[in-house]
Amino acid sequence: MNPITIEATQYTPAIRLDPSGAWLIAGKSYPENTFEFYKPVMHWIEVYLAQTDSADITLDMEIVYFNSSSSKLFYDLFDLLDAKRSTHKITIRWLYDPQNESALEAGEDFIADFEFLNIQLTEK
Amino acid sequence: MKYNELEALLEEGKIIFLTYGGFLTQSLIAGMIDALEKEVRSNDLSTKISTHLFTIFIELAQNMMNYAKAKYGSDAERYAKGLIIVGMDSDPRYYYVISRNIVDASDKAKLTEHFEELEGLDKESLRALYRAKRKAGKEKHHQGAGIGFVEIVRRCDAFEYTFTPIDTEHYYFTFKTIIHQPQESL
Repeated sequence: MNPITIEATQYTPAIRLDPSGAWLIAGKSYPENTFEFYKPVMHWIEVYLAQTDSADITLDMEIVYFNSSSSKLFYDLFDLLDAKRSTHKITIRWLYDPQNESALEAGEDFIADFEFLNIQLTEK
Repeated sequence: MKYNELEALLEEGKIIFLTYGGFLTQSLIAGMIDALEKEVRSNDLSTKISTHLFTIFIELAQNMMNYAKAKYGSDAERYAKGLIIVGMDSDPRYYYVISRNIVDASDKAKLTEHFEELEGLDKESLRALYRAKRKAGKEKHHQGAGIGFVEIVRRCDAFEYTFTPIDTEHYYFTFKTIIHQPQESL
């Protein structure tokens, strides 16, 4: 599979997905149509998870602020990963600015929702 | 709001960071966020408060944009006139975001029901509701699973709303959120 690299814009994050398992989503996320914007990203991940029997995946999520449909989309993304946690070694690093209380809360909410996923809160 | 009312607010020191009336597009919203980020930096707002302001602004602005598109389609630009204001007031200092747009009677009913559900919920209950709605909205891929206003209410200290009749079917829907500046950071 080819890696995906998407540059950040005013309202969408930088995204890097690599077959090595080093993934990154970083920036602001409030696209006009969130599900259209993330469609190729979700598709790439679905194909990757289907084609690999096992893999070490580290997803760095460093989201400054986001709209509610992005929140929903991240939930769906974690749900995809959660379904593969028995075969794939998945680590999600939720990176947050300690001054940004809501980014920390958002990370805590995901941990509560996916209690068996390895989601690590990491101060920047 | 009349122009002289706006001017009066400015003179009273109720500082307005941003006001826009008209049809909202994504690129306008992004431009306004850029302007807000500059305001926030020059006013030394905490990261916590500024993130709340951006998030509330984005939710309200995109709500109005999406509502206009759904309601008027390609005529949205001609008919959908939204108003959005972000400002600061003092004594004690607080920030506010106001949005106003035209909604029809059935949406008034839906919104009222939703707000009545949110009123009186404390932060932890709002958080639980947000998580439950996000989880339940798993297959709803075209909206934020109905969590937009829950997000807004989670991030403000108070909200108020009014529906002012225009005719039998239409109302001006005005929604105001208030964010207090914690005393210790003044």
